[in-house]
Amino acid sequence: MRKVFFSFILFFCIYSPLWAAIDTIAVDVGISVFKTMPLGVVPFEEKNGPIAWGEMPPHKILESDANLSGRFEVIASQKFDLVAFSKARAKFYVTGMVESLEDGMLKLSCYLYASQTKQLVFGESYKVAVQNVREAMHLFFDQVVFELWGERGVASTKLAWVRKIDGVKQVIYADYDGYRRRQATNDSAISMMPVWALGNRKLIFVSFRNEKPQLHVKDLDTKRVRRIYTNHKQSFSPAVNPITGEILFSVIRDGKTDLYLGDAEGKNSRRLSYLKSSQTSPAWSPRATEILFTSDRGGGPQIYVMGKDGSDVRRITFMGRYNEKAAWSPTGDRIAYTSMDNGKMNIYTCAFDGSDIVQLTSNAGNNEHPTWSPDGNLIAFASDRNGSYQIYIMRRDGSNVTQITKQGENTSPTWSWYDSPPPTSKKEGKK
Amino acid sequence: MKTMNWFLAGACTFLLFTACSNPPPAETDPAPKAKKTAIRVENTSKEDSLAAAERARLEAERLAAEKLEADRARLEEMINQLMSDDVYFEFDRFELTEKARELLAQVGDMLKAEERFIVTVEGHTDARGTEDYNMTLGGKRAMKVKEFLVAYGISSDRMETVSYGKEKPKVEGASEDAYSQNRRANFRVKIK
Repeated sequence: MRKVFFSFILFFCIYSPLWAAIDTIAVDVGISVFKTMPLGVVPFEEKNGPIAWGEMPPHKILESDANLSGRFEVIASQKFDLVAFSKARAKFYVTGMVESLEDGMLKLSCYLYASQTKQLVFGESYKVAVQNVREAMHLFFDQVVFELWGERGVASTKLAWVRKIDGVKQVIYADYDGYRRRQATNDSAISMMPVWALGNRKLIFVSFRNEKPQLHVKDLDTKRVRRIYTNHKQSFSPAVNPITGEILFSVIRDGKTDLYLGDAEGKNSRRLSYLKSSQTSPAWSPRATEILFTSDRGGGPQIYVMGKDGSDVRRITFMGRYNEKAAWSPTGDRIAYTSMDNGKMNIYTCAFDGSDIVQLTSNAGNNEHPTWSPDGNLIAFASDRNGSYQIYIMRRDGSNVTQITKQGENTSPTWSWYDSPPPTSKKEGKK
Repeated sequence: MKTMNWFLAGACTFLLFTACSNPPPAETDPAPKAKKTAIRVENTSKEDSLAAAERARLEAERLAAEKLEADRARLEEMINQLMSDDVYFEFDRFELTEKARELLAQVGDMLKAEERFIVTVEGHTDARGTEDYNMTLGGKRAMKVKEFLVAYGISSDRMETVSYGKEKPKVEGASEDAYSQNRRANFRVKIK
């Protein structure tokens, strides 16, 4: 297996002159390279005078969303330019118009046009305060994705992660692109391992406020923090069932770590597995019928899969000595995980039976804690490739790596769920 | 103290003597005087014995406090010793090394000598690897230490284990030196 793998890398090194120039190589074994769609982006017309935008004007937010989505190639232009758009094969372009209203609000009219005919594909308008322009643009962008791809975009989703503030790890959350950041915990004790409850209004995380690792839940609306599964002295590694909201987690008892399944309210729980080894890092399959987890039964950590009832345990990873923190893609076809080799951590994906291994990161410090975007196109992760640990987003094939946090130390990203149920028809939201 | 008593007694005798020997200008005068003095003498000696008891009590208290202080200092020293007794592990391992066993035997002796100590054994790992797996590893390390001490004769009721995973490094940094100091179990001590 390994030999094949390395000879493949060797092949890549010799035959690809580009290899040295990119910091992340995608060793594509089986999955097709991303197809991107060129998309023209034109600045918004400011109808009654220039507007003092916050961090960036609306078209820049759309550009950023388009780049991060992994679906588009941005063709930026100061105005509609048929020649440039045609040359780049941008069949569509987005633009808009801004109007300052008397009450201080902004009216954003956003449009998706067909380049050739200048025909309106669809438009949407938002009345927002200047600090909420980002939110509106993300909503519009997801409409564009749905219009052009027939799939749901992730521009309105969120990320939670752990950030060191004054030397203490705190849980924070933000838009998926790292903007509009908020602090979920402000504690003197360590907070870590955040995951989103279904509905995205609660974060489940581990707090050391009782000098032990214990699961807590933070309600983002009421701001209340509550300890959950209080009958366990040491609990961590939470994973939320994507269908029922039940929580799988690890419990340390007498030095051994086991998996427990608790209800969505954080009250009752029962032991799920009766294995001799320690088990941690549970993860659900998209339909919640199977569970990935890490076991040390072979000495070091390796990834296994079993049925929801703890039956039919099968080993997934065989390559290397340290494979951990598996995450099942929302589309169900791939498993992302962290592997350690020679003391360096890197992110890999494999098929659900452990075959078809693809290394997504290499030669760029440590890369760990992969989390899938709800559409399954992107993976967020933490890396110290530029010195300190920061959050990055890449496509599922390892390309298009974008750094989304800049300062401090940021680790353990977890992507939110979709906020709302899927749209029922393609025409929804159309004017 | 004694000289004072003798002096007072002497003074009284002298007064009594002069009162008797001198011809009184008035009959009633000297006697009450002598009486008063005598009473005063009696009072003084009573006050004096009370003061002595008080002093003895204070002295005892002082000694007890001193003893307590010494005890506390000794306990503190033991606690400091316990808290600085870190048990080190190999990478991704939780077996006790020979050195760790020697150190834990000393810890065991201390816990036997001081029954009031209740300890929390904290298990830690170095910064390499994932948070989750390191939590399990820290749990195993803490348990290994507890098991050794139970086998050494320490009641398991007096020991609690907790894993901190890689969250509480002793030494910051990404060097092998820092790693080796962070792969440890250490003690937190409470007095019953």
